[in-house]
Amino acid sequence: MSDGPRDGFWDELGGLCRAVGRAMGVTFVNFLRKPVTVHYPDVTRVYPDRFRGVLALTYDTETGEENCIGCRLCEYICPPRVIKVEMLKSEKRNFAKTFTLELYACEFCELCVQVCPTDAIVMMKSFDVATADRRELLLDKDRLHTLGQQFERSWATGNILRDMQTPPKAAKAESAAQPKAAGGAE
Amino acid sequence: MDPEARKVIEMGYGGAERLTMNMGPQHPSAHGVFRAILTLQGETVVGMDAVIGYLHRCHEKLGETLTYTQYPSIASKTDYVAAMSSELAYVRAAELLGKIEVPKRAQYLRVLVGELQRIASHCVWLGTWCMDMGGALGGGATVFLYCIREREMVLDLFEALVGARLLYGFHQVGGTRYDLPAGWVQTCRETVDFIDRRITEWEEMLEDNDFFLARARGVGVISRELAQEIGISGPLIRASGVNYDIRRAEPYSSYEDFDFKVPVETAGDCYARYRVRMVEFRESSKIVRQVLDGLPEGPISSRPGVKSVGQVRIPKGEAYARVEGPRGEVGCYLVADGSAKPYRMKWRGASFSNLAVLPHIIPGHKVADVVAIMGSVDPVFGEVDR
Amino acid sequence: MGEALSGFIAGFIVLNAVVGIVTYVTLLERKFAARMQSRIGPYRVGPHGLLQPIADALKLMMKEDIVPRLADRVVYNLAPVVFLIPCMLIFATIPFAPGLGVADLNIGILFFLAVSAMEIVGLFMAGWGSNNKYALLSAMRAVNQIISYDLPFIFTALVPVLLAGSLRLSDIATAQAGLWFVFYPVIGQLAFAAFIITTLAAENRVPFDILEAESELVAGFRVEYSGMKFALIQLGEYAHMVGTSFLGALLFLGAWAGPGPAWLGPVWFLLKAMGVFLLVTWVRWSFVRIRVDQILAISWKLLLPLSLLLLMATALVVVLRSGPGV
Repeated sequence: MSDGPRDGFWDELGGLCRAVGRAMGVTFVNFLRKPVTVHYPDVTRVYPDRFRGVLALTYDTETGEENCIGCRLCEYICPPRVIKVEMLKSEKRNFAKTFTLELYACEFCELCVQVCPTDAIVMMKSFDVATADRRELLLDKDRLHTLGQQFERSWATGNILRDMQTPPKAAKAESAAQPKAAGGAE
Repeated sequence: MDPEARKVIEMGYGGAERLTMNMGPQHPSAHGVFRAILTLQGETVVGMDAVIGYLHRCHEKLGETLTYTQYPSIASKTDYVAAMSSELAYVRAAELLGKIEVPKRAQYLRVLVGELQRIASHCVWLGTWCMDMGGALGGGATVFLYCIREREMVLDLFEALVGARLLYGFHQVGGTRYDLPAGWVQTCRETVDFIDRRITEWEEMLEDNDFFLARARGVGVISRELAQEIGISGPLIRASGVNYDIRRAEPYSSYEDFDFKVPVETAGDCYARYRVRMVEFRESSKIVRQVLDGLPEGPISSRPGVKSVGQVRIPKGEAYARVEGPRGEVGCYLVADGSAKPYRMKWRGASFSNLAVLPHIIPGHKVADVVAIMGSVDPVFGEVDR
Repeated sequence: MGEALSGFIAGFIVLNAVVGIVTYVTLLERKFAARMQSRIGPYRVGPHGLLQPIADALKLMMKEDIVPRLADRVVYNLAPVVFLIPCMLIFATIPFAPGLGVADLNIGILFFLAVSAMEIVGLFMAGWGSNNKYALLSAMRAVNQIISYDLPFIFTALVPVLLAGSLRLSDIATAQAGLWFVFYPVIGQLAFAAFIITTLAAENRVPFDILEAESELVAGFRVEYSGMKFALIQLGEYAHMVGTSFLGALLFLGAWAGPGPAWLGPVWFLLKAMGVFLLVTWVRWSFVRIRVDQILAISWKLLLPLSLLLLMATALVVVLRSGPGV
């Protein structure tokens, strides 16, 4: 990239002119390029499948019942502890009596989605819930279910994530048999 | 009269009087929240006092209260510009202690995201450094916007992989949390090629540019002895002539499988640090291509997926794991007691140790050089204050 | 009496036109700079951002006027006015068309250069009166820089004067009827290049904007101003910039010369002035700034000798052609 060392007055002057010309040339080339601006909110870009947006609770697609069984695993794993669940015991299965999620403190780390055994809590492909009143971001169970119907769902659910991460039994046996081949200890 | 007012008026501004100026925590070029109390004689800085701690968020206490499954998402918030490296240090420490193996594919994925993160972090460095030197209304802003425009492409890649753009939660004890979606490899190759071409454009704007060289050459020289004595790391020490890169000295996560150059310059000034990081851009893209070519099939974690908060238990012991982050050596010292939470966790922040060199090299320079030097040291205050 | 009245009316019209042009020049600069950075500038206020300058002006008028407790009130309050007046006064001597101008003095260019240098007083008053170390540092750098660059500015502006043989601005414009001074072999181009560089420095534009270096001094001498006083200072800066662009178009680019009927002259003049302005803007958005001691070194060690040499060479050329004019 460098022109090399310059000596002499005319060499320096020529080098300066060349450098100036190059820099202004780069800005000129960028002047002719199309701007990268996306005219949000008139135009929204396409969110990828795995987008971590606002959280929502889901219903079972076949039976129409709530998926959440009130097991509180999400409450325990949440690092900033924004989820509070109360369980409601019933004959065949349990439900969540109350489920509050403080979205204004949520980190969007997807750990609650990761641990959910019934794929009840998921993330949506949207984050457009800005309000002027923080109390609207204290999501209760009804609001969470509404959000689940309102936006498009992301790809990740608990079972999908855990299946992706859990090593298959065959590979585990292989790695036990040949410790060297399956990647050394760090 | 107000005693404060009397003090101000009596001080006077003439002649050899020294002026104490605050480059305060709220400043367009403090790279975060950093207070530098400068003592000026005219335009020359004769003394510098650094005050940090404005961004302290008790990470080390959080490390004691959160378990090994919860903390990696939080770890990314120390060095938030290079989140992948920060998480990796913590996760590696836990794996070292627990003697947990990481599958080959997970190791390659870690290298992949680590190098992509290095490209993104160096984009931020170049943009903010030029903006400090060139002004928010001037050529510096132009370079900044170009760098951010390219960084957006890397962040789009991360968004397709993880779902988040800045703070990921990608690593977990035993491997990684996400695997590559369909079509990602092709997009990644195209992105890396595109960024390589654009890096050439930025170099054209800056390299050989007399204005830029006048600001960067001979400014903020860190001598080799000073570098080794103070304990700085990363591009700073490599620009002062010491060939030390953790990826070569203590290879982790299969770095020994890849062929890349470690750039070393001897001048030790801002221009040398700039050259080191520009070469690191290209070496990172080289590594990314090698990873994509040689990515093995297999599991992405050696432990089952996280199902409960106390799933990972690490036996008693202590370990220190370090990672070559874009700013230097990011280290995590972990003391485990057999339960699901660490007993003690300490972060070695790269920027924290790098900042220690500032009071040694800044005196003697002009005020305008202070920002240039701070920009080339590239601190991120999440790491400094934790 | 009639002359005074017509002068008054002409001055009134020109001032209002200048204020209008200056506010929209800010929008032009923002959109031009944005396109160079792969983005669009103001877009939502009015169609394609055309009402943005008006929104900015209204906003500044509505802001609270803060005077620091320890500031020197008289100096602080007077500074924006003292800064603005010379920047507006320079438009008095510029002829927008043959015979169309407020006051076509026979020492036109001398008046322009002398008055435009008076803004330094207002600038230093602003820096001193603010009782702020950042402002004071910036004001001291400003005095240093503007005084150093006014000398090469004057010498490069004298090259067209020599070539035209008159200090009157309309004479210089008509002397370019055959060949614009910028196309003069060697001397014209060098003088134009030097003019652009000294303009950048005299206007505190990057790469010479050390005195308002946002990343170090956070707006420099203007840091304590808010509301309408800030608007006056901004107006003065941009008015000075536009005035120097008009001067550049007049001295080097032939002012109102252009194809088409004579009444199109002022339009061509405006376009050429905007062209000079955009050239300066293009340079501004492409480079990082240099330190104040480097700026002064360039001025005293490089530009001043070069501009003196250029002036002597021009004088030689004029004498060899035995008489002024082309």
